[in-house]
Amino acid sequence: MSESQTAAETSLTPAERRALFLEGARQALTGPAYFVAVALVGVGGLAKAAGFPPAAAFLSTLLIWAGPAQVLFFGSIAAKTALSAVAVSITLSSIRLMPMVLSILPMLRAPGVGRRQLFMATHFVAVTVWAESLRRLPDIERAKRLPFFFGFAVACILTSAVFTQAGYYLTAALPKPLAVGVLFLTPVYFLSTLVRSARLPVDWFAMVFGFALAPITQAWVGGGFDLLALGLIGGTGAYVCGRFYTARRAERAS
Amino acid sequence: MSLGVQDGGLAPYIILIAFGFLPSEIWRWLSFFVARGINEGSELFIFARTVSSVLLVGVVGKLIFSPVGALATTPLAARLGALAIGFAFFALFRRSVLAAILGGEAAIIAAGWWWG
Repeated sequence: MSESQTAAETSLTPAERRALFLEGARQALTGPAYFVAVALVGVGGLAKAAGFPPAAAFLSTLLIWAGPAQVLFFGSIAAKTALSAVAVSITLSSIRLMPMVLSILPMLRAPGVGRRQLFMATHFVAVTVWAESLRRLPDIERAKRLPFFFGFAVACILTSAVFTQAGYYLTAALPKPLAVGVLFLTPVYFLSTLVRSARLPVDWFAMVFGFALAPITQAWVGGGFDLLALGLIGGTGAYVCGRFYTARRAERAS
Repeated sequence: MSLGVQDGGLAPYIILIAFGFLPSEIWRWLSFFVARGINEGSELFIFARTVSSVLLVGVVGKLIFSPVGALATTPLAARLGALAIGFAFFALFRRSVLAAILGGEAAIIAAGWWWG
């Protein structure tokens, strides 16, 4: 990562920007865009079950762009939950977007990148774009990151919106083994992406803490707060272990 | 609240924006202002990344240990086994995410068929 940006580096021509945008979209369409899109097929089915018009399925992906929040939204409206309670549960589930945005924005900042562009970028941060950016952005020159990011994210969100819409019409027509496969895609995809992007000891501790704490917080923390507790307790634990481990290694090396 | 999805017209879209989009999006907006003081490589940055990793693995753990829908019809051993097969493929094929997905998916679809 070279921080020595000269004026020539920071100002990309429109053609360069377009090429980076397309490269981002191309990389998304070699895999990640489809993985998240398939995971959202079920949301379309839920939108129909909840009695929403067809366009709401497509729009929910463009606007909310967070799988768990969309499942909560349509699922709880289908179950006739009061709208104010729906909003509260969605807010709780989407707190997890905050650390994601906080760990992506600093990577996108560069001389010549305006605040409005960065603000727009926040909307596209969700788990897939976050995990893939963590892996791909460090290898890209700072000034070139934002157009690449937008290309990648727009390809993901549009593909997903189309698949959500397809889910609205297909609903529960999938044979059972395939329905099992669709539900399993999220675990296997995200775990392998995280392993791929792990760089520091703390990244490995994060995985161990998350997996070990999941059944515990689910059993002991109720009312939709279990993930919040898991993030804070597990995140702090993993962070402290990572620092301790790195310090010990440095001590031994010296 | 008198607003309902069955009211038709613009009502479903107003509900989507007011009770779905805004409660979720507010965290992205808030983060934008908080992120101003955080640099890549700073300890706060690493902490934020750690918390989101733990959350993601936690969500995955929930899906594996207490799944919903069709996935719940497979035994826990099959779900953990399919994950292990996915990782074996990941290691065998030069850390390929796609290989992990194909291996794990083949295993879980077979399990879904067997226990169907």
